Parts: sequence; C-alpha cells; structure tokens
Amino acid sequence: MIKIRGLHKSFGALEVLKGIDLHVQPGEVVVIIGPSGSGKSTLLRCINRLEKLTSGQIIVDDYDINDRKTDINLIRTEAGMVFQQFNLFPHMTALKNVTLGPVKVRGIPRREAEALGMELLEKVGLKDKAHVFPDQLSGGQKQRVAIARSLALKPKVMLFDEPTSALDPELVGEVLEVMKTLAKEGMTMVVVSHEMGFAREVADRVIFMDEGVIVEENTPRELFANPRNERTISFLSKVRSPIE
Amino acid sequence: MAGHFNFKASVIWESIPILLVGIKYTIFITIFGLVIGFCLGAVAGLARTSRNPIFYRMAGFYIESIRGTPLMVQVMFLYFGLPLALNARIPPLAAGIGAIAINSGAYIAEIVRGSIQSIDRGQMEAGRSIGLTHVKTMLYIIWPQAFRRMIPPLGNQFIISLKDTSLLVVIGVGELTRTGQEIIAANFRAFEVWLTVAVMYLVLTMTIAKVLRMLERRLEIR
Ligand SMILES: Nc1ncnc2c1ncn2[C@@H]1O[C@H](COP(=O)(O)OP(=O)(O)OP(=O)(O)O)[C@@H](O)[C@H]1O
Ligand SMILES: [Mg+2]
Repeated sequence: MIKIRGLHKSFGALEVLKGIDLHVQPGEVVVIIGPSGSGKSTLLRCINRLEKLTSGQIIVDDYDINDRKTDINLIRTEAGMVFQQFNLFPHMTALKNVTLGPVKVRGIPRREAEALGMELLEKVGLKDKAHVFPDQLSGGQKQRVAIARSLALKPKVMLFDEPTSALDPELVGEVLEVMKTLAKEGMTMVVVSHEMGFAREVADRVIFMDEGVIVEENTPRELFANPRNERTISFLSKVRSPIE
Repeated sequence: MAGHFNFKASVIWESIPILLVGIKYTIFITIFGLVIGFCLGAVAGLARTSRNPIFYRMAGFYIESIRGTPLMVQVMFLYFGLPLALNARIPPLAAGIGAIAINSGAYIAEIVRGSIQSIDRGQMEAGRSIGLTHVKTMLYIIWPQAFRRMIPPLGNQFIISLKDTSLLVVIGVGELTRTGQEIIAANFRAFEVWLTVAVMYLVLTMTIAKVLRMLERRLEIR
C-alpha cells in the first residue's frame, strides 16, 4: 500500500530524514515511536506530500507521489491525515467539516454528502453534534470529527500524527476507540503515537525512529519486551509509565 | 469691524440642505473608492502572500509607493499630472474615486495580507490533506476566516478614507468640504459653516463606527 525507498528530506542544511525504507501492507497498522525531533511527523507529511521529498521514492497505492503525472490532490485523498492539533475548520459545523471534501473535491451532490457525513459522524459517536461548531466541542470530539473528515474521502490509508497528545488524559480513550475500530475494519494505518497500550493492542508492527532513521522495527510484543538496540532500550525506559 | 463676532444660527439651517448634496458626493466617492480599493487591496494583499516573486515585488512596489507619499500629491498627480502624459482629461469625480481607490487599496492590501497570514498554517494543511487545491483551500477555508479578521481594520479604513475625501477639494469635486468652501465664498460665515461641516463628518464617522461594532458583535456570536 505504501512503499518508501531511500527517502531523504532536508530543511535547508538540516537533514531530517536520512534514508528511510518502509513498506506498509494493505490492512496493516504500523505505529511509529521515537524521540522528539526524530522526524516522525516529517515522514508522515512526506507521505501525503505536505512536504516535498529531497530524494528517494514514495509509492502510495501504486502512484509515485513525486511523479509529475500524479495528481497530488488525488493522492491526498487516498491518504487521509489526522493532525495533533485537529485543524478543524472553525467557521464550519462538524457536518460541514466532514462534507466539504466530498462536495468540493469529489463533486458529490450535497444531499448525498450529508448522508455520508451523518453516517461517519455516527461512526465516531458524534451524530448529535453534527450542527455544532468546533469551538463547542471538546478536544476528543474535535479529533473524532477530524477523523470523520478524513474518512469522508474514503482514503485507502490513514496517517495519524500524535492524534491524542494534545488531549486531556480522560479524552484519549474515546479517540483511541475510534482508531481501534478502524484498524479492526481493515484500514491501513500509520500512526505516530506513544500510546503503548494502543500499539500493543492493534499494531502489527512498531517502528522506532531516531535521528532520521529507522533504528528498529518489530511486532509490538517483541519490540517492547526485547528491544535490541540501545537507543530503543533507553527511549522505552523513558516513555514507559510506571503503571505498565 | 474687527473683534465683532456674532454667531448666526440661521446660517447653519440655511446651509444644511446645500451641504447635504456635498455629503452625497462624499459618501458616493468613499463607497465606490473603497469597493475598488478593496479589489485592488485583495489582489495586492494576496500577491504579498504568494511565493511568486514577480507578484510579490509588484504588489510591494504598489504598496510602498502609495504608503510612502501624501494622498494630496497622489490626487494632484492623478488629476493634473497624468492627463498630460495620457493626453486625455480625467473628470474630477473619476479622478477622486480613483485616488481614494488606489490609496485605500495599498492600506487594504496590508490588512488582507496580515489577516491571511494570521490564519494558522494547519488550516491550509488540513485543506490540502483532504484533497482541496491551493486555490480552493484559499477560497473555502482561509479567506472566510481571514475576512472576519479584516472587518475591524477595514472599518477603520472606511473612516479614514471618508475623511480623506475632503482632500479632493483641491481638484474641485463637489463633496462636503468643497460645498462648505463654496457657501463660505458667498456668505463669509466661516465659523458656522465649518462647524456644521465638522459636525456632519463626525456624524458620518460615528455612524460607521457604530454599525461596525454591531457587525463585529454579530460575527462574534457567529
Ligand atoms: N518546516 C520546517 N522547517 C525547518 N525545520 C523543520 C521543519 N519541520 C520540521 N523541522 C525540523 O525537523 C526535525 C524533525 O521534525 P519532526 O517534526 O519531523 O519531528 P518529530 O519526530 O515529529 O518530533 P515530535 O515528537 O516533537 O513531534 C526537527 O528538528 C524540526 O525542527
Ligand atoms: Mg511530530
């Protein structure tokens, strides 16, 4: 579903991604962990071309995203993106947030889009908030609307960039629940998150990134129980909460 | 007879109907000037947010040259100077509207640029991430939010431009100030007439300010 080969990305003189190779199979859930500044967000942003690659290749669903012939707006609808800060459109109701893509990108009639929108809001448990503006939603609700907004384009892949790290702890669960449901339905997902419980439960693979490279990858069980690389060991010992 | 001032209220009542004709011109010039100025300002402001160096520089040249020169000079250049080069007369009213438009456009450009740049970058990214093009994201997501933020400074510009129209007196457009001047030329009652003119400007600007506050409050509620 996603094939990344030799991906390099620099901001000016700063090389943030230093040769990433990653294949994600259809239906696979990959969780990326790693210290701040290691390039996790940049990697996700390269996948739907919010950042231009410096070199290397990314294939999403058989489309080379750097190929001039590829319609980049199409790729972006194939790979939905969920942001840490939600980035809902504050001047639109929850429902309008969700239907904007289908209407303006896909050209679906408003009626149909609204039916789809209501269906998706129901799926994320927010049918009753359809006509509410974002400033009246809690963080968890905002993020669930944002997920519905991405799903409205019927993407083949969902990219999550620390979707719960801006949330109050008591609101994290509701967002993770939605993500788990998606995973169980067979959605291909790449998730940057330090929610170890989530990774353990739904991830097929956990990737540890540091300083722009993939240091180690394994099943969550293996990676958490027997990390091999020293950097992984030291990172895990830092993020692990005492409860686990 | 120096030092013998007596206030004549009747002058005020007599001049009001004539001044009202001047007010009509003042309002007409302000509104038309600002509508065109807003179009100019929107284009120049957008160009200032663009990555295209040609648009960026051209808009910068326009904004800097207008903001860096007095309106009075712009008006006279437009009305007395430019016709010589073009070999065509510009009617005073058109020159007046044009001057207000070009002048306000430069200030509005800065308002537009500032409002657009004040919108969180995440909004553009979210728009792009659901497959909207850059233009569509601007149109449906950035612009509506930025426009709300433009309203208070645009209102301010409205008031400034309205007062600026009084400078058009130098090219003989029959707006409020010019009308006052003409009345005084006939009756020599400078105190009463300028006082009336001043009060009329004040009523206009205060009305605009009030309408704006109402509009802002309504937008806050949404
Ligand atoms: N637009 C940009 N311009 C310049 N430098 C950038 C830009 N975006 C990111 N960087 C730099 O790239 C590096 C990697 O950033 P990135 O956001 O990918 O890290 P991250 O792993 O997601 O970190 P975090 O856990 O804090 O979100 C950082 O040093 C950051 O300062
Ligand atoms: Mg990040």
